[in-house]
Amino acid sequence: MALAGGASDDSAWTAYDLPLEGRTAEDRVPVSAQSDELILVRNLAWFCSLRWLAIAALALLALLGWVSSTLIPIPWLHLDPAWPSLAAGVLLLLNLTWILLTRRASRGERRALLARRSLWLQILLDLAVLTGVVHFLGSVLTFAPFMYLFHIVLACIFLSRIRSLVVTLSAMGMYLACLVLERTGAVPPSSVLSALALPAAHDIAPVVLALQFLLVAFVSLTVWYLASRLSSDLRRRDEELFAINRRLEAATEERASHMLQTTHQLKAPFAAIHANAQILLTGHCGSLPSAAVGVVEQIATRCETLTRGITAMLQLANLRSQAQNPPSPALLDVSETVRACLAAMKPQAEKRGILFEEDLSPAPALAVQDHVVMIIDNILSNAVSYSLDGQHVRVSSRAKPGGGALVVVRDCGIGIPADKLPRIFDDYYRTTEAARHNRGSTGLGLAIVRQTASAGSIGVHVESAPSRGTVFTLDFPSPGRKVHGIPADRG
Amino acid sequence: MAYLLIVDDDEDFASAVSTVLRGQGYETGIETDGARTVERIRVRRPDAVILDVMFPENDKAGFEIARSIRRTFGELPVLLLTAVNQSFPLGFSRNDLDPTWLPAVDFVEKPVDFAVLCSKVSDILTRRSSAHPAG
Repeated sequence: MALAGGASDDSAWTAYDLPLEGRTAEDRVPVSAQSDELILVRNLAWFCSLRWLAIAALALLALLGWVSSTLIPIPWLHLDPAWPSLAAGVLLLLNLTWILLTRRASRGERRALLARRSLWLQILLDLAVLTGVVHFLGSVLTFAPFMYLFHIVLACIFLSRIRSLVVTLSAMGMYLACLVLERTGAVPPSSVLSALALPAAHDIAPVVLALQFLLVAFVSLTVWYLASRLSSDLRRRDEELFAINRRLEAATEERASHMLQTTHQLKAPFAAIHANAQILLTGHCGSLPSAAVGVVEQIATRCETLTRGITAMLQLANLRSQAQNPPSPALLDVSETVRACLAAMKPQAEKRGILFEEDLSPAPALAVQDHVVMIIDNILSNAVSYSLDGQHVRVSSRAKPGGGALVVVRDCGIGIPADKLPRIFDDYYRTTEAARHNRGSTGLGLAIVRQTASAGSIGVHVESAPSRGTVFTLDFPSPGRKVHGIPADRG
Repeated sequence: MAYLLIVDDDEDFASAVSTVLRGQGYETGIETDGARTVERIRVRRPDAVILDVMFPENDKAGFEIARSIRRTFGELPVLLLTAVNQSFPLGFSRNDLDPTWLPAVDFVEKPVDFAVLCSKVSDILTRRSSAHPAG
């Protein structure tokens, strides 16, 4: 934190809001591997939604048939409302059965099993209903047979190439069966355009009928080839991305372990040096000459500074590496964390006669506990470090009326000049005066605050006046909210 | 005189801790091989164990040792020494101290402030003597 200048013009209060960077709490999506079964369940749920649309279209068709046969006759349209009603009823039954079964199968694995088992039944029933619709709309000389393309494209998107080919061939098989039944007279031909005296299947020469079938089959297979190829390319890329993500997760775990070892390896020797320096200073090895005491004190102090620096560097590196996959926040009472941090900080403050004035009310918020500890620790540590001996540091917490929490840390210390406020969150930023006031500063404390605040969408508002003090206001979000620029509690 | 066993792979550090605690009037022993801790306790049962968390062969060997102590010797107090705090992956906080997961009564961060260490050791021994007046 920067030191205030001496001019009176510089002693006015200046405010600064830390701009939040990176992803917000709202758009943070936990990276988790989704099994094929879960994707299948999700897709079947979507098919259900599409089926509702088909049911609605058939219901409208039935209504149109009823209107044209009773209220407003349409001369060229022959639409019996019975068959669209029947088709809509079958699909409705299918959808309701599926919804009922998935509701009863509450656990994910049971739903997946149900989805796997019922997938082909649902596909074949849908195709059978569609074939009925094609038959009634007109299996020849209409565009009705091309409605199979909806099913084929959907199959290409959600199923493997082989499975989507099976769906395509099944559709063609059902269409062929429809044509054969109509041509042989087993099923009476039907068409909504029959009033136009268009030829029906049994009137058309077998060659022309075969050509009609081949045209529909050719278009269907072409669409299958193109859509399934595109879809399999996308699926392969998706699998590659998934594999990369798995490797990244494994690398992150390995790095975490490596970081732990590095921390230990770096800190352990300094811990030993520090311990031995303390032994010398406390007279366990006899009394030291006064000149030697100064030297040993310097060794101990530099050891502490170096250890703090190592800790801060590794903390920051760890936070930055977590940025793409941050830990999930939980609902917690920030005031409890503040209380614990204050208790930990008190011995350090008391050494310099600095007293904490606490006004802590329950402050529930959505945050990551470890991150809150890091933020509060660093801000309290700064408040103590940059206060003058014997001053007070006021710490308050409270719940916000609309949800979330505010924590305010106010010191009456050296303050920060206005032009330097925007830089205090930069890595290793320390003014000469600040470094002079606190030689043990690592320059990374507020960089850690910036990183954790951004990760948790915690608003950080700073107000400062040289020689008068600094007020940090932390605005912890409630679930689903992102807040910037909260004014400091000056009360 | 209370006997304290210091288990840390860093001999220099363990010996510094031992010097300070002996200066406070405690009797101390040092074990630098974490795997031998239980065996060492069997030979002479300490009033408390001051145990490092990380050993060269395992990130959390100290946790395993603490659990072994708990399983074998019941509520023998363990004070952990750690160079990594909760802000690191695999680090831990006071909330993690738990009879089954992490059976330790307290922990001290390295570099150790000996005043804090001595105060915690004193607290642990006071609590132990009030809980087990005969021992």
